[in-house]
Amino acid sequence: MLLFKAWLEVRWRFAFLVGSILLIWLTPLWIPATGVHTSVPAARFWMVIQLASVLLFIFTAIFLAGSGINTQGMYTFTPGFHGSMLFTLSLPISRRRLLFARAGLGALFTCFLVVVMSGYILYLRPEATSVLQALAYLTRTMVCTMAIYSFSVLLSCLLDETWHVTGAFIFWTTVFLMQSKSSWVAQVSPLRGMSLNCYPITATMPWAPVIASLALTCAFLWIAVAVVQRKEY
Amino acid sequence: MNDNLIETSKLTKSYNGNPALRGLNLAVPRGSICGFLGRNGAGKTTTLKLLLGMLRPDAGKISLFGEDGGSEAFSIAARRRIGFVSEDKELYPFMNVGQTIRFTRPFFPNWRRDLEEKYLELFRLPLMKAVPKLSKGMRTQLMLLLAMARGAELLMMDEPTSGLDPAMTEDILRALADLAADGETTIFFSSHQLAEVEQICDRVCIIDDGQAMIEGELDELKSQYRRILLTFDGMPPSALAALKGIDHLRQRGRTASLLTHGNVDELVELTRELGPTSVEVRPITLKELFLDHVRGE
Amino acid sequence: MNLRIHFSSGVPIYLQLMEQIKHAVETGAIRAGEQLPTIRKIAEELTMNPNTVARAYRDLEREGIVEVRHGSGVFVADQPSSASKGAEIRQAGVVLRSAIEKGMALNLSEGELRRVFEEELSRAQENADAKRGRR
Repeated sequence: MLLFKAWLEVRWRFAFLVGSILLIWLTPLWIPATGVHTSVPAARFWMVIQLASVLLFIFTAIFLAGSGINTQGMYTFTPGFHGSMLFTLSLPISRRRLLFARAGLGALFTCFLVVVMSGYILYLRPEATSVLQALAYLTRTMVCTMAIYSFSVLLSCLLDETWHVTGAFIFWTTVFLMQSKSSWVAQVSPLRGMSLNCYPITATMPWAPVIASLALTCAFLWIAVAVVQRKEY
Repeated sequence: MNDNLIETSKLTKSYNGNPALRGLNLAVPRGSICGFLGRNGAGKTTTLKLLLGMLRPDAGKISLFGEDGGSEAFSIAARRRIGFVSEDKELYPFMNVGQTIRFTRPFFPNWRRDLEEKYLELFRLPLMKAVPKLSKGMRTQLMLLLAMARGAELLMMDEPTSGLDPAMTEDILRALADLAADGETTIFFSSHQLAEVEQICDRVCIIDDGQAMIEGELDELKSQYRRILLTFDGMPPSALAALKGIDHLRQRGRTASLLTHGNVDELVELTRELGPTSVEVRPITLKELFLDHVRGE
Repeated sequence: MNLRIHFSSGVPIYLQLMEQIKHAVETGAIRAGEQLPTIRKIAEELTMNPNTVARAYRDLEREGIVEVRHGSGVFVADQPSSASKGAEIRQAGVVLRSAIEKGMALNLSEGELRRVFEEELSRAQENADAKRGRR
């Protein structure tokens, strides 16, 4: 039933994000000189799609994250949702299980959206991609997105609804700005990992950010569990 | 023989340096309905949260169902046998009545379908109505249903009748009386409503400033405590305050009001020796007991 | 049986309940051998604590006013009440006999004595009612 509750919390945001994907898929209708089924789309169209997809992944990761304890609903910024937290905590379940049920479902939906959108992108460039390259593309996109997702999960354990979304945006904007200033941030940043220097555009796999993202995902989740278990409500 | 479902010993808790509980000693025996009284900020909600594992104590011991504990595993095992009704009666805003019940049911292997149906019918709760659209009274009833249908041995409630009209309050009290009559449920609730506590509780605990001031069976307290009203010709003699056995003394002009328990007759004799013009001994209400112990000297 | 508890009075609730049941027995509202309502029924009707009702019943049993038949319920006991009434009646007789003898020594007729007695009786009843009402 925890998954049912998580679904109820997440469904409208998920629907909104699916709608966003469909909107992106329909862009050929209004961006001129492009065509979905031509083998090489216009360079500008391609850049827009890439950017849109990266933004979509980031938004998805931030909006679908949750802790299972601070309850969320349809409207991100609606007050008065916290009382039910006491009801949740009065049930005979461990806080870790509460966290994993909610975070797990959000992760599932996030990965689903990543796969769907990535699939579309790969579909647009069939000649550049072998199966291995496609898998590589998918893996690096998912791992980088999950790093962003797990950071949002951690924030949702620490802050309430309004702040963890804002906090996530502030954090990743800061990371983005620092990428150009500091080389080691650029090396490990999941944002950089998700960006354009990868299959199927270039024949490279950005190993450093991908491994860093994996490590960050594990770290953020581990810290989130620790926070949720020690926190006083 | 100790059959206390709840027992705390020197329970202490502070928030940001502000002490909420300063060594609370509490005991709630099986089968009783115990009222937990105190002013706002006295520590009632903190106590309930500590018992449920939402907070961790700074010091002291908690014992539930006869077992000491503090680990999460202990708390989870205890919560399987406890029903809780929070103060603001908030449930999930994205569920309706039926979904909330279906959500809660699987967590409790001893769920009583018969009680679920009985209270659904008694409270006339509409299954398809969304929780945010329920009045506070109906939310209270829903929370009560969820707490009771799980087959809980211990019911803990934070101000269960606050914000409810008299008719609904009576319904809830009657449901509690009915539950207690089975002999299988112990009820512990905090309240401001002295009249309701007097009506339904057989035990009370009055907490003030983070400590238990008075605790015991209500009828026993009413038998033991007496108010002695004295009137003097002039100002009451200073020797009055020095008398032993006075729980609380209030002087106003030529009159003095003493609260005492235990050996009332002896104290009455001692006061007579001070030469008052009138001595009157009166029984005491819960309201007086409460106010005298929380207002302080 | 018409029970009414004042929850906010200083008098312990179980005592109030006992007094009211005793009164009901004395006035004949409920007779020897008749069954009293179950603990649950009284608790529900008055919306009060069943433990308190149980205590009242226990103490009434101890005083011999009722008897608890396990499995069947609580019933009004017959013998103890009438036996103690007998003793009290005999005691009253002794008290009144000496008062009558003193009255006759004042040379009052039987009729005059009777009128004085009835006047004093009604005045005493008025005072008793007033005291009960004040509480």
